[in-house]
Parts: sequence; C-alpha cells; structure tokens
Amino acid sequence: MGRNILFALALAGAASPLSAAPLSVRVVDATGRPVRDAVVTLYPSGSAGRPARAGGRFVVSQKDLQFHPFLTIVPVGADVSFPNLDPTKHHVYSFSTAKKFELKLFAKDQSRTVHFDKAGVVALGCNIHDQMSAFIVITDSAWTSRTNPQGLVTFDAPNAPARLTVWHPYLRGPGGQFQQMVGPAQRNASFQVRLRPPPAMPMQDY
Amino acid sequence: MGCALATLWASPAAAQTDLKLFSADAFELSGDLRFVAVDGEKSWTEGDAFGKLRSGSDGELRVQPQLGNVSIVWKPQFTWSFGATVVGSIQGGQRTEAGLSQAYLTFKPMRGSKLAFSARAGLMWPPISLEHEGADWHVGDSITPSAINSWIGEEVRPVAAEATLATDLGEHKLRATAALMAANDTSGTLLTFRGWALHDRTTLAFRRQPLPPLEDPVEYYQAPYTHPLLDVGPGFAHRPGYYAKIAWQPPVPVRVELFRYDNRADPEAVNEDLEWGWRTWFDNISVVADLGSGAELKAQAMQGRTRMGTAETGERWINNRFRSAFLLLTRPFGRFGLSARLDLFDTRNRGSDVREEYDDKGWSAMLAAKREWGRFTGLVELLHVSSRREDREEAGLDARQHQTQLQAELRMRW
Repeated sequence: MGRNILFALALAGAASPLSAAPLSVRVVDATGRPVRDAVVTLYPSGSAGRPARAGGRFVVSQKDLQFHPFLTIVPVGADVSFPNLDPTKHHVYSFSTAKKFELKLFAKDQSRTVHFDKAGVVALGCNIHDQMSAFIVITDSAWTSRTNPQGLVTFDAPNAPARLTVWHPYLRGPGGQFQQMVGPAQRNASFQVRLRPPPAMPMQDY
Repeated sequence: MGCALATLWASPAAAQTDLKLFSADAFELSGDLRFVAVDGEKSWTEGDAFGKLRSGSDGELRVQPQLGNVSIVWKPQFTWSFGATVVGSIQGGQRTEAGLSQAYLTFKPMRGSKLAFSARAGLMWPPISLEHEGADWHVGDSITPSAINSWIGEEVRPVAAEATLATDLGEHKLRATAALMAANDTSGTLLTFRGWALHDRTTLAFRRQPLPPLEDPVEYYQAPYTHPLLDVGPGFAHRPGYYAKIAWQPPVPVRVELFRYDNRADPEAVNEDLEWGWRTWFDNISVVADLGSGAELKAQAMQGRTRMGTAETGERWINNRFRSAFLLLTRPFGRFGLSARLDLFDTRNRGSDVREEYDDKGWSAMLAAKREWGRFTGLVELLHVSSRREDREEAGLDARQHQTQLQAELRMRW
C-alpha cells in the first residue's frame, strides 16, 4: 500500500508548475548486478522541491516471527500499526534517532500504532525474537520510491537541479546512504554500491 | 541478574499491570501420534537391553501405532520482562510416563542499543542442541534427534542459573552465556553403561532411566537405574558445576558456537540407593551454514570424559572418554522439507572396573521428509543404526547390531 501511495505521490509531481520529465535511476552492486529495494529519493532544489503528502495509515505486521513487509516507505506524519498475527507475543522497538519507541509485549491479534513525525530511517526489532528485523523509511520528499528487481526507479522529476540519495539496509556507507547531484536536464543517473550480506540464521534463543 | 531482579522489585506498580497468569495465550499444547516399524534388538527403554532406539523388536519387523510426546506449556508473565516457562509432558511408547519436563524463570529486560541481557533460572536444558525447538523441546526437522542431542535430552538437564549477553561488534554478532548448575551429578551413567542412543524420549524430572545388564563387579555397587536429575552428596548445590557458551556470527552466512560443560560432581560420592557422582565434562562445537534457497547445513561435534569411583590402582573404576559428531542437511521445498543426517559415535572405557567390553562404537544415517498444514505437521523418517559393544555378548547377543526404523508421525500444535 505504501508503495502505491508513494508512486501516486511521485506521479503527482508531474502536475508541478515547473515542467517535468522522466529521471531514471539505476542502482547496481559492486559486480554490476541490479540492487532491488534500494530507496531512492530526489530532493529538487529551491521552489521545485515539495514534501510528500503528509500522514496516512500503514501496516507492518508480525507473522511467522518476521515483520511484513521488510521495507516500508511512509511520508512524515504517517501512522503505522503493528498487528501481531503470530501465536506468540512480540515486543517491537526502535533505537533509531528518527523515532525511538518500544511496544511492550502484545499478543496474537493485538495491535499497536506509532506516529512517525520526523524524516529518517527506523530500524525495527523485537526484544523477544532477535532474528526479527525490518525498516521504515520516513520521507519528506514527494519523489521517493524503491528500486524494482532490475534495480530501476523512475521519477517525473521537475526541471531543476536536485540532490539524489540512495539508501539500502545493507549498504556499506555512512548511514547506509549515498548521494549525488543531478542537473535539470539530466534523464539518467546511477549508483554503484557495496552491500554487506544480510544477517543469516538467528542466534538461538531460549 | 541480581540487579535486574532488584529493579523489578523496585517498581511493583508497573509489575502488576503486566501480570498474565492464565490468559489463553499463556498456554501451548502440542503432541504427536506415530506409526513405528522397527526391526533389530529390544529397546533400552524396556530395561535390561541395549537397543539404541525408542522402540525395539525381537529381531523380527514390528509395526505398531504409538503415542509419541504430548506437552503442555504454561508461560505465565509476571511483568512484561519477567515470566516463567513450565512444561509438563507425557511420553508414550513402550514405557509411558508423565511428568515435569522443564520449569524455569525467565528475565528479558529491554535491550540497550548495544547490549542485550537475558537470564533464566530453574530446571532446563542448556542451549546446546541445533535440532530442538520451542519450549516443548521438539525436534524441528525430523522425528529422531542425533546421538548427541538424544543424550542431552536424557542426562544433561540440570537446575541452573544462566545469564546471556548479546552484542554486535561491527558486522559480527556475539552471544555469551554462562551458568552455574546443580542436580546433574549422575550425568554419564547411561552414556557409559548403555552407550549412545538415538530417540526423542527425554528424561522427566525425578524419573529414572533403566540401565542395561551390569557385569561383575559393577553390579554390586551401581544401582540398575539412574536418576539424571540428582545431587549426590549432602545438601543442594554443595558442589555446583557450570556451563558456558560463546556464539559468533560473522558477516557471512555461517554461525559457530562453542559450548563447555562440567558438572564438577564428586566421583567418590554415593547415596544410599547406590547412585554415584559422575565427574563429567564435555566440549561441543556447533556450526550452521546457510547454503542458499533455504538449505542449511548443521553440524555438531562433542567430546568429553566421565569418571566415577575411587582410584585404588591409580585409575578410577570408570574412566570413559566419549565423542560423537553429526552432519545434518535440510532443504525446504515450499511446504515440504527434506533432511538427511549422518551420525558417528563412540565411547572408550579405560577405568579399573569398566574397560573395553563396555566400549560403544557405531554410526547412523537418517532421511526425513515433512509437510506442514497449518497447525499440523506430517513427518516420515527412515533411520538406520549400526553399533558394536562387546557386553552384548554377555546377554547372548551379537556384539554388532543393526537396526532399521521407519516412522510416520502426525504432529499437532495449539
């Protein structure tokens, strides 16, 4: 749902008073293979920039001892609910500066909601089940989306210079993020990033 | 742990709001029914026998339906961070028993951004097995666990106070566990007199396990059974043992665990029932490797030593060096899963009273398939075990025995 809304937000950018044109961004790893689920954000400079439509309701559920979805993009001001669909209790937390919170033990079919009022990345965990991990990207730009399996994302970008950022949970770099500037007439951009392997096999917990 | 408990008592108001003793989600029920077809020798569980499986035969193929294990788990929550786990079990088959399986307190406060702390105290299995899951300690990928983890289920379940710290060092995950323990003084008795075994029947608290026929002179000073949950000697925990574990997960899909156990029992201590203290230590290394597409390779290797009795001629009556290792390969195919395991095991006895005739050497191979339907899991398992020990000849059996077992099981969980 979050992806659809953000695509809609990105498309809405086409109605900007400034003329818009497609900007295609490709993200590949160190060996040139496409990187999917990288979050790409465009920050046009000056009056061309526009925040994402604030608010909205999103869901990150817990099922089979995992968060679903693993990656969620929401605008600043979003409310995200955390329904527990597992037969066991969960204790969801975040230590991230964008939103520190703790949802103490809640059981099957119970839910808690958190309001995200600041842009940034929130890493989710469960205090009971260490293997559970997920990320919420809270964006303050109307041009934010994730790469598809081909490592591509396309924006209807305003005809203005802009800052382009890419973030991925396993990206090796400061804050898991890289950025570059794009010119007003630029139609293509690319990032080559180094990824660390995702954590495998949870430590056994009793 | 003491500081944490002090913090807990310092905030009784907060503690009361999270009290959940008998809510529906505090209980879990699991159980299984199985068909067992087995040939070979009589099961050790029947007493006076050496058979290494949970079920046995008189040599002919024996087919029978059987109640496997039924467990009810109670997980009361006293505060959001402080709870307990109590597990009662019924174990069916050729010697049906009911009793307490585990009972321990749990404490897991909110982790810090760098460090996570947790603690347990009570009757519980140490964190060794790569094959067992959940509070009911069921085997995840097959019906029958390896020789190593079968023995853990029988003779290594102390009363312990355990603390665990976990942290991330860069991209490396580390977890360290240490525990003081008691009431595990007889650990090693079954492993010496019966040898290794492969089965999913665990020892319930205060229950005893039968031993195979004992030879002269051992039969005069050793009871024909063992209570694995026992403190031999005056008082409780007068000579506590310990276990410790370090788990390391580097930034590659491999996890390594090192485990050390020493019950520090007095090998010359004996009670009025002729149950002795067995000084038993072992080291265990575990490796889990993610092979991609959900496939995993799990391996454990253990070696240790157990000694009992006095050292009249420079060597104690019993001095048993034991070792075992297994490789387990698992691969999911949608709702199906396939597993294959190879086990090797042996014991080497060089005590003054118990010598080569008690040595146990063998191997086992296992193939298992499982399928899940919501709360139900179906498993089919084919297991072959081959072993040699000379003391079988005293009972009129061949020293070398082969046994094949086919099981089909339906597991349920509520």
